[in-house]
Amino acid sequence: MTSTQIIIDCDPGIDDSIALLAAFVSPELEILGITPVSGNQPLERTVRNALQICELGGRTDIPVYPGSHRPLLRDVIRGQFHGQSGLGNTNLPEPKKRAEQKGAVEFLVDRLGEAARAGKPVTLGCLGPLTNIAMALRIDPSIAAGIARIVMMGGAYREPGNRTMTAEFNMLADPHAAHIVFSSDIPIVALALDATHQVILTPEHVEQFASVSGRIASTVADLMAFWDRNQVERYGSRGGPLHDPLVIAFLLAPHLFQTKRARVFIEQESELCMGQTVADWYNKSGLEPNAEIVCHVDAEGVIALFLDLFSRYRSERAA
Amino acid sequence: MSRISVIIDTDPGVDDAAAIMLALGSPEIDLRGVTVVAGNVGLQASVANACRIVALAGRRDVPVLVGAALPLVGKQAFGKYAHIGNFPDDLMPNTDYEPATLSAVRFIAEQARAAAADGRGITICAIGPLTNIALALRLHPDVARGIESIVIMGGAFTALGHRTPFAEYNIMADPHAAEIVWGSGVPVVLLPLDVTLQALFVEQDFAAMEAHGSPCGIALAGLLRRFDRSDLKRYGRPGGPIHDAMTVAWLLQPELFSGSHCAIGVTLYGPTAGQTWADLHGKTEQRPNACVMTHVDQAGYRRLVVERIARLGATPRPTTPIREFHA
Repeated sequence: MTSTQIIIDCDPGIDDSIALLAAFVSPELEILGITPVSGNQPLERTVRNALQICELGGRTDIPVYPGSHRPLLRDVIRGQFHGQSGLGNTNLPEPKKRAEQKGAVEFLVDRLGEAARAGKPVTLGCLGPLTNIAMALRIDPSIAAGIARIVMMGGAYREPGNRTMTAEFNMLADPHAAHIVFSSDIPIVALALDATHQVILTPEHVEQFASVSGRIASTVADLMAFWDRNQVERYGSRGGPLHDPLVIAFLLAPHLFQTKRARVFIEQESELCMGQTVADWYNKSGLEPNAEIVCHVDAEGVIALFLDLFSRYRSERAA
Repeated sequence: MSRISVIIDTDPGVDDAAAIMLALGSPEIDLRGVTVVAGNVGLQASVANACRIVALAGRRDVPVLVGAALPLVGKQAFGKYAHIGNFPDDLMPNTDYEPATLSAVRFIAEQARAAAADGRGITICAIGPLTNIALALRLHPDVARGIESIVIMGGAFTALGHRTPFAEYNIMADPHAAEIVWGSGVPVVLLPLDVTLQALFVEQDFAAMEAHGSPCGIALAGLLRRFDRSDLKRYGRPGGPIHDAMTVAWLLQPELFSGSHCAIGVTLYGPTAGQTWADLHGKTEQRPNACVMTHVDQAGYRRLVVERIARLGATPRPTTPIREFHA
């Protein structure tokens, strides 16, 4: 089996951490690096959290490159549902693993440049604001040829926003970066709130994960329990939407997802609608589609996939 | 004398050539590199032109670095003189001098971070769209700490625009980058059109640039003649401006200039995108974020530019001793 080479750009973050832990035990994915960015938490925190999650998952072999310390233009905003440290109430040990000297943007420019020259493009899994990717594309546009596609969690199309009435957090945190990425002609798969709100991690699921996840069970249970929004009116049950892990699920099991192609625009002028993702569903713009937007998710299939992945922590990686 | 460490960020461009030549002709300045950005002309032509200028000055020790091909967020707009493209071979010879492999953005960031680590500072003369500098500032928080000041040719206040009715080209070409640079906390000196249009260069100046046989002086005079910048109707007198060299002149002889500390800003969107404002009369509560030059001793500026470039790479003529010998 040939594995997919992937760089995971993220801002851990509880759901980022669940995504990383799932990716760590997927032999289908060869993780070339993790590039934390300022987002849910300040950069120092997202880097530290990424290092801790690598240690927890037994994947200290994966290099972590510290990324952008702030959005391109807008003032910083932070996530609201990740707790003080960004990892809920978990209390992981001080990481021994160190971040790389090289920055994330430099790593992306170098590694994707190499991929472009070798004709072996790499997939980007983007779980946070898109600052790192946008910076790299503006520093060296030729790296676009080194990106097979971008599978991102971000945006809200027919679904209202989660940070403002119209905007999803990752897009709002750096709408200019999102604009740069959506203008790049790189193939994009967008897992927006329209998709992630279809997969709610209920307290019953959390119990199931706790029972299968072997040596990391207690941390997984803590992370997932903290994620409960307790907003039944909005989500239809207790629990929280499984935003970032869907990127990993899409890469592993695309058959669980239905997509529709459309041109996407990012609002960057209006304060009221800042960061809104606008999809041209019926080709009013006359422009070619630039993204595949996930419209439907087989939620049960996704939960089953993740239960299978997390159960791998019980056996071969227990040492 | 301690020399000023300078990076010139540029999109050459005829007046960019004058700025680079002025820096290379000035012993007060240690030119660390020429970082190139798409602007007046596309990136490839800008890079080729920068290499020609540095090579003609005989300064292959100064690296040329390739920067951003596109503005940060907005649509690309080239300069009024974009049709020039590569400098004409007959005026500015082609060269085999090649740009370095490191990107301009990383070069600026590395130079600034190294300077911050040693407690020094580097100065940037920014004479194109501010894309490279904005990207470097976002690359790492230490970059801002290592930049002593950014001296920008850009903006227009009372002078209005020269590329659009409202906007000066360098700022209009990447207003988002300007916003990042001005908000970075790095001291900014701004030389807007209001001041660059005060000094108009005439044939007498071009002739003086050539007088000592400097290859650079001859090339620049030729370019200024062929791509005439005079606009009698607008300026009310003969001659054309050399905007970009003013940033280097400000470093060399700040006493030629006067201005004031004030808040500045830029419009990012809409029909007046790229328009700049300066709170020259204290109408807002905003803290000053720039030193905006409003007046230049135009004769002093012209003299400085002409004298330094006229002697750049010129072989001193041993006139007096030879005359004595023959006598």
